[in-house]
Amino acid sequence: MNTLLEISGLHLNAGKFALKNINISMARSDYFMVLGPTGCGKTLLLETIAGLYMPAGGAIILQGRDITRLPPEQRSIGLAYQDSLLYPFLTVKENILFGSRGRGKAGDPQIRRHLEQLVEAMNISGLLDRYPAGLSGGERQRVSLARAIVKRPPLLLLDEPLSALDPRTRGAMQELLRQIHLREGLGIIHVTHDFTEAMQLGTCMAVLKNGAIEQRGAPCDIFFHPATVYVAGFLQGENLLAGTILTINGRRWFRQDNGPLLFGPLPLDCGAAIADNPGSQKRKMLIRAGNLRLGRQPPESANSISWTASVSRIALNRTHADVYCHGSGNWQASLSLARWRELQLSAGERVNLWVNPENLHIIPEN
Amino acid sequence: MQNTALKQDHKAVFFNAMKMSLKGPGPFQAAFWLVLILMTAFMLTLVGGLFLYGEWSAFLKVLQQPEFHYAMTFTLWTTLLSTMLAGMVAVPCGFILSRHNFPGKILVDTLIDIPIVLPPLVSGVALLILFGPVLGDALTRLGLDIVFSIRGVIVAQWFIATPFAVRTFKQAFDSIDPRLEKIARTLGYTPSEVFFKVTVPMAKKGLLGGLTMAWARTLGEFGATAMLAGIIRMKTETLAVAVFLNMSIGDMNFAMATSIIMLFLAMFLLAVFKTISRLEARA
Repeated sequence: MNTLLEISGLHLNAGKFALKNINISMARSDYFMVLGPTGCGKTLLLETIAGLYMPAGGAIILQGRDITRLPPEQRSIGLAYQDSLLYPFLTVKENILFGSRGRGKAGDPQIRRHLEQLVEAMNISGLLDRYPAGLSGGERQRVSLARAIVKRPPLLLLDEPLSALDPRTRGAMQELLRQIHLREGLGIIHVTHDFTEAMQLGTCMAVLKNGAIEQRGAPCDIFFHPATVYVAGFLQGENLLAGTILTINGRRWFRQDNGPLLFGPLPLDCGAAIADNPGSQKRKMLIRAGNLRLGRQPPESANSISWTASVSRIALNRTHADVYCHGSGNWQASLSLARWRELQLSAGERVNLWVNPENLHIIPEN
Repeated sequence: MQNTALKQDHKAVFFNAMKMSLKGPGPFQAAFWLVLILMTAFMLTLVGGLFLYGEWSAFLKVLQQPEFHYAMTFTLWTTLLSTMLAGMVAVPCGFILSRHNFPGKILVDTLIDIPIVLPPLVSGVALLILFGPVLGDALTRLGLDIVFSIRGVIVAQWFIATPFAVRTFKQAFDSIDPRLEKIARTLGYTPSEVFFKVTVPMAKKGLLGGLTMAWARTLGEFGATAMLAGIIRMKTETLAVAVFLNMSIGDMNFAMATSIIMLFLAMFLLAVFKTISRLEARA
């Protein structure tokens, strides 16, 4: 792997808050998502990478160069914040070239050419002579992005760049970010509290909790296999069950605490996580709504664990329908809209729910 | 269709508001209006009285007197100089107080504010003690006498104006999102470049407003100046000192004319300040 950024054992004390033992490794081709709630240290982490705070320990290596002790102006890392802060006393063009102007590089033909490309790609050519006060949220955000990357930094840091935008602008902006990442060939660290956004954009992801990385991996993997209850909760894990691990005939099973259901045999990769914690056999199990099947007839496969429940509520989304059921616990299943229309479900109806054993995920830690 | 319905709705709201205001204010609002009108009338009478009492010919005669010329030019250059000095102290003080937290910050903040709450006369006594018995000998040896000198006038004005400048500058710096400065750092600017290329342009209107208010303070300064620099005709004679001096020897015409000039100066500065703050509110 061609490493762009390597952060190892990063510590930072900022008053009562601290970043603890942060390790991140990413390539230029990575779009790295940092996910976490408000106040978990996401912005602080970005600002530390940018050099605005001096870490108490650890190292930050960018393109093989140790930049841990370098001031921000010597790091060449782009930064853009959520509310697309522009300098109100400068025009759009002056804002974009602000970083070049001070260095006597405004006439640099390379930067000029890049400016033209960016302006074209971001569709802001009509705005260049205007002042920020007259721009819409989406326009401002595009200008602040152009300003951050016009000098071609190898790494771009984004602090919740989509949160302040309305849903339609957000979609277009997401596409623009993806294009910038591919076309400009720069690594991006993008901080957000929205896991849908993280799933859609990220090639890798870290979940942050109280200044420490709770889990790191591919977005899809974290989504289906959260390592802790915290991560499962933050990723809105739908069917989170409390229960006990049992061993029957050499295979492990999960018995629901407040209900009659027995799930298993558990997939083998769950076994390692359980064996690591021999003390307590009390565990949480996650079945993502997309893995929970629903139908009027029982499942065809004999391996599936199946039970009956009654439909209590149906919530329609743009792409799928969430069906909430009650019976041996509360359940949430996601159906495609096509499947939902085919079934013609109505509230109060009895249905069969089932799950395949390979889709059971035992959360390794409590 | 939906659009026209919406428009009609807006119209209804507008007409309701019209009806409400046509009914006139209730007794509670009427009482507030009455107080505002009385206060305005009082201020108008006050200013008018100053004009009516003095005679126009006497006013013009005073304007030609060398003592008036001295007081006028002396006031302008000393106040401008002391305001500049106050600004030079207030920029770093206001910036640090705005951007940083440190132990004892409240104490420092309070100390700097002392001249605001202290009667100027008392400030003058304190300055007189400091530059007289405490530091006087050393300053005399350096040839930098403060007490009963022109330097004393500038020191007194500077002392009274500085806390106002610090206060307003701090507010001006507070109103800037520090992230704008952080972005400039990542774009390649050193802290000092960030200060002059981002912070100062962003705070410009607040800084100008603060300087104007500080200048207005120095123009009217009398108590501290009188204590530290003394009331010496044609030497430490600012406009304010001139009013007092001529009032006490019974030259009413001189005192009146000087007062009217000072009133105009004050009103002019206030107008400048209001314009700046309005521009700031619009930006």
